[in-house]
Amino acid sequence: MAEQGAEICFKKDTVSKLLSSFFKEEKTRGELNKHCPDLASNHWKSGDSEGLTVLSHLIVSGDAVLLMAEMLKIFVEEAAARSQKQAKSEDYDQVEIEHFEKILPQLLLDF
Amino acid sequence: MSVGEEETRQRLKAAVHFTVGRLCQKVAEEHHRGFSRQVIAALTETTFRQCDIFAKDLEAFARHAKRSTVTAEDVKLVARRSTALFIYIQNKCDELNQEQNDSKKKSTGKRKSRDTEEESRE
Repeated sequence: MAEQGAEICFKKDTVSKLLSSFFKEEKTRGELNKHCPDLASNHWKSGDSEGLTVLSHLIVSGDAVLLMAEMLKIFVEEAAARSQKQAKSEDYDQVEIEHFEKILPQLLLDF
Repeated sequence: MSVGEEETRQRLKAAVHFTVGRLCQKVAEEHHRGFSRQVIAALTETTFRQCDIFAKDLEAFARHAKRSTVTAEDVKLVARRSTALFIYIQNKCDELNQEQNDSKKKSTGKRKSRDTEEESRE
């Protein structure tokens, strides 16, 4: 496989911030009790005078960030390759949105 | 969602869009067929949402193991659905560990080589 200089990949920093932004780190006690009553009694708690806030302080190890960057890269490459195959089978010379839409269900199931 | 959070989200999405665009460019060149802008935008959105799913899974796995750090083991679990993907991620993980071991060996050079010499004699 020919490589044009540096390999294209997701930056470690971006992936790290991306994952952290999606963690459900803070929830007020009321919400927690409503959605997951069992979580309310574990060691993630920290209290303050206003009401209880649950903070997880979940961090992602360096290795995990690199592996997730790899996962995302594979996800994109797989989606792109499958879309290309679909466009080819329909004899199009540009990959259009309908090609992407057709391969999307199976892609999501495979991941 | 507060304004600050929304801004961060947009910036992250833009960063993802950049790399998605470059990866699509590479695939387009390999197949001699371009991607419409709409496709790249849709792929960015899909990747962004898929990352959300991955992140929630990682969080759940780490919590289940009563850890406050997401590790490579959690990532391997996320990759469990497809055998090929799982093996690929596992190999990458081993590669990373190998690199770490190699760099450790370099820094403790003399002592380690003496140890292995003794081991081979036994």
